[in-house]
Amino acid sequence: MAADDVDEEEEFGFSRNYFLAKESSGSGKKSTSKVSDIDVVDEQELVAAMSEIKPKHEKEIAALRDGYRGSYSQWVFELRCGFGMLFYGFGSKKALLEDFASMALTDYSVVVVNGYLPSINTKQVVLGLAQVLWDLLKTKRKTPAASVSKMKEPSGSQSLDELILFLNGPWVEEKDFFICVVIHNIDGPGLRDSDTQQCLARIAACSHTRIIASIDHVNAPLLWDKKMVDTQFNWYWHHTPTFEPYKYEGMFFPLILAHGNTTQSAETATIVLQSLTPNAQSVFRVLAEHQMAHPNEEGMPISSLYSTCRERFLVSSQVTLNSHLTEFKDHELVKMRKNSEGEDCLHIPLPTEALEKLLKDIA
Amino acid sequence: MMKTAAAAASVPSRGEPSSDQENGDNSLQPFFILHKAASDKSDRKPSRRRIPSSPASPNKPGKSGDDDSSGDHSHEHLRMEAFQHAWSDIETTIKGVLQSIDSGTFEAIYSWIIESFSIIRTHVSSGLSEIAQAFPAAVDSVSRRLFTGLVLTKNMELFDDLRTFEQLGQFLRSHGCHVANLSSMEFVAKNGIGGCITSLLRQFLATSVDAPDMITLSSWYNDQVNNDTPIILIIDDLERCCGSVLSDFILLLSEWVMKIPVILIIGVATTPDRLRSIIQCEALQCLCPFKFNLGTVAERMDAVVEAILLKQTPGFFISHKVAVFMRNHFVNHGGTLSSFIRALKIACVQHFSMENFSFMLRGLIEEEIQGSKHGLLLKAIYNCASNISPCERNKMDEEAVQKLVAEIAQLKRLHFLWSIVVLCLYEAGKCDELRLLDLLCEALDPEFYASRVPGSFTQETRYTKASSPNDCFTHQHKFTMRKDGFISQAMRKVRDLSESHLLSLLKRWERHTADISEIHEKVKELQHMLKFENYQQVKKDSMEIAKIRGLQSKSNLGRDMKRVNDKASSFLAYLIEKYMQPIECVPSHEIVCFKNVKKLQMALVGDSRRRIQVDLLESHKILSCSCCRNDNILLSSMHDTSIMYSSCQEHGDLINLHDWYQSFKRIFLCPNSKRRHKLKQSPVSKKRKFVDDSEKLSEVVIQSRFCRGVTELQITGLLRMQSKRRPDFVQRVAFGL
Repeated sequence: MAADDVDEEEEFGFSRNYFLAKESSGSGKKSTSKVSDIDVVDEQELVAAMSEIKPKHEKEIAALRDGYRGSYSQWVFELRCGFGMLFYGFGSKKALLEDFASMALTDYSVVVVNGYLPSINTKQVVLGLAQVLWDLLKTKRKTPAASVSKMKEPSGSQSLDELILFLNGPWVEEKDFFICVVIHNIDGPGLRDSDTQQCLARIAACSHTRIIASIDHVNAPLLWDKKMVDTQFNWYWHHTPTFEPYKYEGMFFPLILAHGNTTQSAETATIVLQSLTPNAQSVFRVLAEHQMAHPNEEGMPISSLYSTCRERFLVSSQVTLNSHLTEFKDHELVKMRKNSEGEDCLHIPLPTEALEKLLKDIA
Repeated sequence: MMKTAAAAASVPSRGEPSSDQENGDNSLQPFFILHKAASDKSDRKPSRRRIPSSPASPNKPGKSGDDDSSGDHSHEHLRMEAFQHAWSDIETTIKGVLQSIDSGTFEAIYSWIIESFSIIRTHVSSGLSEIAQAFPAAVDSVSRRLFTGLVLTKNMELFDDLRTFEQLGQFLRSHGCHVANLSSMEFVAKNGIGGCITSLLRQFLATSVDAPDMITLSSWYNDQVNNDTPIILIIDDLERCCGSVLSDFILLLSEWVMKIPVILIIGVATTPDRLRSIIQCEALQCLCPFKFNLGTVAERMDAVVEAILLKQTPGFFISHKVAVFMRNHFVNHGGTLSSFIRALKIACVQHFSMENFSFMLRGLIEEEIQGSKHGLLLKAIYNCASNISPCERNKMDEEAVQKLVAEIAQLKRLHFLWSIVVLCLYEAGKCDELRLLDLLCEALDPEFYASRVPGSFTQETRYTKASSPNDCFTHQHKFTMRKDGFISQAMRKVRDLSESHLLSLLKRWERHTADISEIHEKVKELQHMLKFENYQQVKKDSMEIAKIRGLQSKSNLGRDMKRVNDKASSFLAYLIEKYMQPIECVPSHEIVCFKNVKKLQMALVGDSRRRIQVDLLESHKILSCSCCRNDNILLSSMHDTSIMYSSCQEHGDLINLHDWYQSFKRIFLCPNSKRRHKLKQSPVSKKRKFVDDSEKLSEVVIQSRFCRGVTELQITGLLRMQSKRRPDFVQRVAFGL
């Protein structure tokens, strides 16, 4: 009864907070300040400064991580008991998980999946896991001969189901025979869709795999239904805040202050570009390649873009190029800047890595 | 993509902590191999693994300054052995219990299958000409009938029943049927009917087929030695299947049924009527359905709890608080048996991996230890005891160990007695649909015990001596029961039972108490009393039947019956007082009893939404730094994202980016709170001062820190980015913890 009251109180507390927040923004004086009032520094400078931010509380963060090292043996115990490990809490857990795997899981093969990347091919991951298992079974002396004869070397021509069946085995009777799959950000943008999560759950339920994953999003548990949580992932939760910066995890997020609130991400740029004509895509490619080749320049002067595009038969006149450029500007794919000679230059507001990926995606 | 993975795979960094450089290389690969297990290592016992633990590891359980690390490793090995032993016992018990619940339904399904198969065979013999054709187009609707068993699971969370369907498959296989289990995941529109047939062929032919079709299945069936048995297809979850795919599948099967005698078994979570709304009319006409019922979740739950927590040897047990938590978790989180079993397993892992003495109890409880191992266990006891209380190190002698062994024997005996009383109560409460877990929670409550026996936890109580077994039928209980409690409900029920019910209850009590002669005799006495009263009554009735009216006789009978009911109830009260001692009130119970409910909760249900916010709002507590102690004031030394999240709490659901940035800047530029207060009073005048180069530099730093903070909040999902409509505002997502 008392527990119910607490739940009810929490529920009301939550909704009360929500309406209070709504009220304070609605009835109160709504601030009219503009982001443009901030004297935003140049994006390049900002990006450079970000990589050089002096960390705070280094000592305490190191102590926190050292503290977790004391639990490694306990974590291995839990893993061996058949649970999947799920780490959550504020701060990047990339280093923690890899340190744990490197120090405590040396008896097992460990495959790391970088879930924070914008796109991941799940089948390739499963194939990679199957190949690791195959190698392991080949070298394992105790693999029963009957099992070896039934095994078929995993290959890309096999379906996802077949590969997962291979991972499920059981090829070896020994309970302690598995490969560990470390998934950074299992709630990451590349793994967030339902099909991928179902696939990961099936991998987790295989007898020869164990998952060690991290989540960062507060609503990540909504990705899973009860079946996945209780019977497939079989999560054992660990609250491990690290307060370490999200160096890689945040790589694909746009900077909020860059270029007066431009929030163009690589992902939306890909979508926009894919909807444009092949010629327009090629013009964009010229611009991007120039930018990658000359990272320190302000951008590509319009005149040189025109001449390159003409040479490659991408545009026949300045008017055609302008129509493409208008399209780009409308979708915030390019920005105008002036270089030291006062010339108008075109610049794509995306970091080089994102640009590379973008070009790959539209290829 | 594979090329990258393969390339990455060729650069293993085995066994060494990966450096930043290595991370940098691999961090943009979709996946890579961190290291491979060496072939010799994979054959080695993992228990010998040495994990360097840091000097600062305050939260390591049971850690002492013991230099003998080999001792730790052997403990780890023993702990793992103890867990595996205990858990495999529990798992086997659960499996057995569930099997016995389902066995009746399985038998019924099998006999129905035999009957249906003979009907199919009759059709086949009368239509041989069609079967000889390569594609047997079944002619009439009767011969196209597909016998379908609808198994009603009465459980919306069907994954609890997946195990049942697997076992049904095994059961039918053991009776010679060809069985394939199809999951509802195979009936999806994306794969169409091809997905189901591929799965079928994979299960029967044990290889993958490039072009799945029914002819392959048909020729496989004809090649089988035992092709006089039916093919059973079990589909676990009707409600989750794509209707059109399932309909097509049924139509296809019905066309082939004369050549391939298929019988369908479909799991239904709701009611058979649901079939009509899912399957198309044409396919529905092909079905010849029969209903079967599975046991309800509540029945399964009771049976599992009874088998594990009452009847099993107490190698592992749970405390009152843990039991209450597990019951609430079961009730509030969808009421699935799987989640209960998972909670139990986590508790078991935590107990065996953390409780100092837990791993040695396997030998002590079972009393099956050999001499050599006994020595090892005794050594383990010494070591562990010295770990718990170093001051006791010297006192830990043979005598102490013997005392411990005696205490465990006593614990075992008291737990056994406790479980018998709970079983008797449960049998009484069963008629009122009392749930065993509810009763268990109350019976485990040490406070309830303390209210009965003030100030005594150790001995079989003073009351025991006061009330001898002879007056157990007239026993007046001296404890106060909760009015709405389950124990009082069960006791009330005993008073209200009819004669026949009371008789059957006493029979069940007789069975449960068979091992304790003292109680067993009393139950028998009660049975005699009941029979004797009956006999007397019948005799009396026959003699006085002419004189006394039936109504009066009935009232007499009722009164006498009441007397036995009261005696039974008093007896129950006597049992409670004398024997129902919760495990937490027995000395040395920690060895078998898991109590850490908070740890269990943390491992079972991670509260990411609340905890990530608390991490940010109370970062100084987690980092335990000396510089950010002031709870009410945001200091520049605090973690940037923490400052930003705390300051955005003052905003409504929309946060003005400019204002937010300015407040962050103000906090960041003030090394101490005093200066910040001054700044707060005149922010504009102060702001004007930031003009020179050094301040320009800090502006870059502040902006970069701000941007990183926003990105981090975005990663945690606590912030939604600005839209085109509102370019100056970002949106808060979470309100309150």
